[in-house]
Amino acid sequence: MSSFSGNVWLSGFSTWKARFISVRNINWGRFSVISMPYLWLAVFFFIPFLVVFKISLAESAIAIPPYSDLLDFDMEEAYLNIKLNLGNYIYLWEDSFYIDAYLSSIKIAAVSTVFTLLVGFPIAYLIARSDEKVRGILLALVILPFWTSFLLRVYAWVGLLKKQGLVNEVLMSMGIINEPLTMLQTDFAVYIGIVYTYLPFMILPLYSALEKMDISLLEAAEDLGARPIQSFFMVTVPLAMPGIIAGCMLVFIPAVGEYVIPALLGGSDTLMIGRVLWDEFSLNRDWPMASAVATVMLVFLVMPIMLIRNKSGKEEAM
Amino acid sequence: MNASELKSTITGVANPVNTELPLWKQPDATPFVRIENITKKFDDFTAVDNVSLNIYKKELFCLLGGSGSGKSTLLRMLAGFENPTNGRIIIDGVDMKGIQPWNRPINMMFQSYALFPHLTVAENIAFGLKRQGASKQDVKRRVAEMLDMVQLGHLGKRKPHLLSGGQRQRVALARSLVKRPKLLLLDEPLGALDKKLREETQFELINLQEELGVTFVVVTHDQEEAMTLATRIGVMNQGLIVQTDEPHDVYEYPNSRFVAEFVGSVNMLEGFIIEDNVDSVRIDSKEAGCPLFVAHGISCAPQQRVHVALRPEKIKMTRTNPAQDDNCMKGEIIEIAYMGSLSVYRVRLQSGKEIRVTQPNFARDMGQRFTWNEHVFLSWDVDSSVVLTS
Amino acid sequence: MNPFKLGIATALTFALGHSAMAEENILNVYNWSDYIDPADIKKFEKETGIKVNYDVYDSNEMLEAKLMAGNSGYDIVVPTGAFLERQLQAGVYAPIDKSKLSNYKNVDVELAQKISRSDKDNIHNVPYAWGTVGLGYNIDMLEKRLGKGVSFDSLDLIFKPELSSKLKDCGITLLDSPADVISVALNYLGLDPNSESKADLKKASDLLKANRQNYKYFHSSQYIADLANGDVCLTLGYNGDILQSQSRAEEAGQGTKIGYSIPKEGTQIWFDLMAIPADAPNKENAYRFINFILRGETAASISNYVYYAVANTAAVPFIEKEVLDNPGIYPTEVVKAKLFPQLAHKAKFDRLLSRAWTGIKTGR
Repeated sequence: MSSFSGNVWLSGFSTWKARFISVRNINWGRFSVISMPYLWLAVFFFIPFLVVFKISLAESAIAIPPYSDLLDFDMEEAYLNIKLNLGNYIYLWEDSFYIDAYLSSIKIAAVSTVFTLLVGFPIAYLIARSDEKVRGILLALVILPFWTSFLLRVYAWVGLLKKQGLVNEVLMSMGIINEPLTMLQTDFAVYIGIVYTYLPFMILPLYSALEKMDISLLEAAEDLGARPIQSFFMVTVPLAMPGIIAGCMLVFIPAVGEYVIPALLGGSDTLMIGRVLWDEFSLNRDWPMASAVATVMLVFLVMPIMLIRNKSGKEEAM
Repeated sequence: MNASELKSTITGVANPVNTELPLWKQPDATPFVRIENITKKFDDFTAVDNVSLNIYKKELFCLLGGSGSGKSTLLRMLAGFENPTNGRIIIDGVDMKGIQPWNRPINMMFQSYALFPHLTVAENIAFGLKRQGASKQDVKRRVAEMLDMVQLGHLGKRKPHLLSGGQRQRVALARSLVKRPKLLLLDEPLGALDKKLREETQFELINLQEELGVTFVVVTHDQEEAMTLATRIGVMNQGLIVQTDEPHDVYEYPNSRFVAEFVGSVNMLEGFIIEDNVDSVRIDSKEAGCPLFVAHGISCAPQQRVHVALRPEKIKMTRTNPAQDDNCMKGEIIEIAYMGSLSVYRVRLQSGKEIRVTQPNFARDMGQRFTWNEHVFLSWDVDSSVVLTS
Repeated sequence: MNPFKLGIATALTFALGHSAMAEENILNVYNWSDYIDPADIKKFEKETGIKVNYDVYDSNEMLEAKLMAGNSGYDIVVPTGAFLERQLQAGVYAPIDKSKLSNYKNVDVELAQKISRSDKDNIHNVPYAWGTVGLGYNIDMLEKRLGKGVSFDSLDLIFKPELSSKLKDCGITLLDSPADVISVALNYLGLDPNSESKADLKKASDLLKANRQNYKYFHSSQYIADLANGDVCLTLGYNGDILQSQSRAEEAGQGTKIGYSIPKEGTQIWFDLMAIPADAPNKENAYRFINFILRGETAASISNYVYYAVANTAAVPFIEKEVLDNPGIYPTEVVKAKLFPQLAHKAKFDRLLSRAWTGIKTGR
């Protein structure tokens, strides 16, 4: 037995040694290029997330900063006390309000994403199929709104949608409606705001997917007896799928946590997790609770994305 | 040698000698595809210019031309992807005007193959059948048949990007044939394959076409490919069909300088008609340095300037004077290219004109071979050259 | 509070707040938006040679978020009483050495007495301005719906469904500030406005929920414009803001007449207080600024400019007559007796309060 374990130890040692050697032989230029995205993720995502997670396990306090320490070192007894407060998470779970807010955010984000897709797809398609000379201009037009502040653009919608706003005035002068519609401070306005704001994030990945598509594939489909609508759903859509997924992610994820749009365009009854988070932070001045809300939101969002990524990765491998 | 003989010789299939004339030589035969005065304009550019053409059942018709000759546009009009500006296309007695691609009894094999990258090989082939509303068993059976036919039975579940070029080509072929179209259009079907594979596939294609009895229209820029495949070739240039004939006739009897030069290589000798008979002409050519005698009559004005087309392989190159007044030129070898089965020589005539000559390498014997700067005589038979007036 | 403005204020303060800190002889002031006559700042700079970096916020919560994060870099901030009280527990503020303030004698002793409920012996604050929460209304619109000759000085307009439903079509708005609205509602119900009892909170929120469908929105500043434009007809808001709305309506000259009344049931009185953060980098300059504000002329100028009252006896001669005589700004002694100050809540109750508030707002 002893020789057996010795062998295991030896083989373990040799693999370790092999690893050590391979580490020494690493091409550092290559390594640093590959590690850049991981570094970026670590610095701008993982570490901030850990900080937020840490705060979520603390207790709210009237102090600077307004939460308790997790670690507490007792000098005399040489005890290190670790105090983790799971109360925030339990409270999140027990109070249906938070779950409602998450679900409502997901609903609003999902509906907006679908509409963004419905609006963005034809635009992306048109650009991808347009003459190469105009394509650059059209793409520039898609990106152009980014040159003005996001807040200004959302505020502009307040002017458009309010009772005496442009939309109502045009509709009334055309005789389509007799009295102004209430559009501002409704979920409808939130949908419009999200669709409008995130449209470029949908169009660009869709465009890049559609632009790569060989037109002869559509002709082949038609040649094989598919009507345009069939070839659209059986060829164009599946081939644009990477773009559709990327676009939907780029819209859905920030839309779930969206705060400014519901605050400006939504009504008091527009319940979104971004507003809840802000209320926890400012109104209740409860940083740990706000952090718990943020942590859960992240887990809610990251999990499905990881699943989707994993799945598409596997399909790619096949 | 006509096209079918050529094919049977090469494929080794013993074809019974056709007692009947081919359809296109029967004056009362009904064409399967009738292209009548078709014109296609893109803005100011005329891609296809008033083309008329009849294609018969079971033909393997090749449209041969360079890029921009209008051959692909013509094919796309047959498929229905482009609408003619003028004229009409009738397929199997039906005017195709207003009939959308998905309703035409035609399939096409695309130059890029246009295989759906998100579908497996089997799904690609099944695509057309499913659109037809064929039953599941039916689809399965016919897909399996097609896969077997193109010898890809084991690759049905692969995605196209995992196949080799040749395999993709066969999937594309299977996909375009699975609906049993009346007419199959092939756009540069062999263009993407390497030379060796291309040669093999050519014969597979011919066999398949004969087996299935489908009418093929092939577009190609490769004259060798056209020669090998076609029952007839339509040579296109600048939107026009300049000659429609069997491969042999296109090669041996080009009707214009363009065809002569485009199909194979050719020597052009310029001259004037000095003797115009019913069944022969004699031409004075300063370039040649001798009178040229051609054993076929032409219709032309006296003293007209003409060209005599002479294929390099028709020329006999000798050290001794063949002792004939006509069709005998003197020159000096300035370049030799040994190509294995034959050698190509460049011979400069006294007029300074250079002539290309190919001679088969009958023997391995080194002593008899021509060398550089050797003075030679070039002669040919009276029926080996063609007079071209255009 | 308007969360959007909070966002902007955050961005601005993060971008600008710390820019000039390293320089000599500067003063970093963080005050409510539109809360001073800019000419007074110029005057102070001219007199003292101190460069003032003047940042603004739109809610107590924003201010507190900055203070609690630590190292705000501000020398003077202006929290409302109850917030100051809370923040004192966190040790945010430095005690104020009154001996350095020659004008401290101008402070209204009676009001300082009330303030001392939030800050014992007023060690950490100097009053800036004060006001009430009350009713702003469009006189014509209300008369049209409720009849002439009715006085609009009762919270019944907002809290009685049979009345509020009559005004639903022209628009009722409430402050988006749970502490303010709930305390007014508790007081209306005859309960302790600073009660931290769950049962009392439930009664107040039931009262609001019964009227919820008749309220157009909850917002702490939008009503200023909307009331002036005739987009809403009744609001529970801050007196100075409503009076600003009134003067805007007059300037517009469209015949919109805005009234303000302090509810006869009594309402909240609030004090905005100047305080010096414990980590303020320029404390001496802060004292000079506070002393400047305490001058009768300066205090009067503020009152004339922002339509809020100042707790400064020396200011009275300089305050314009129409401001001083406006009972909406300087209430009569009878009315003053009915005003209650708001106190800080315990953290637990704050949570209950904000949950109840979200429930009211979202109708859940």
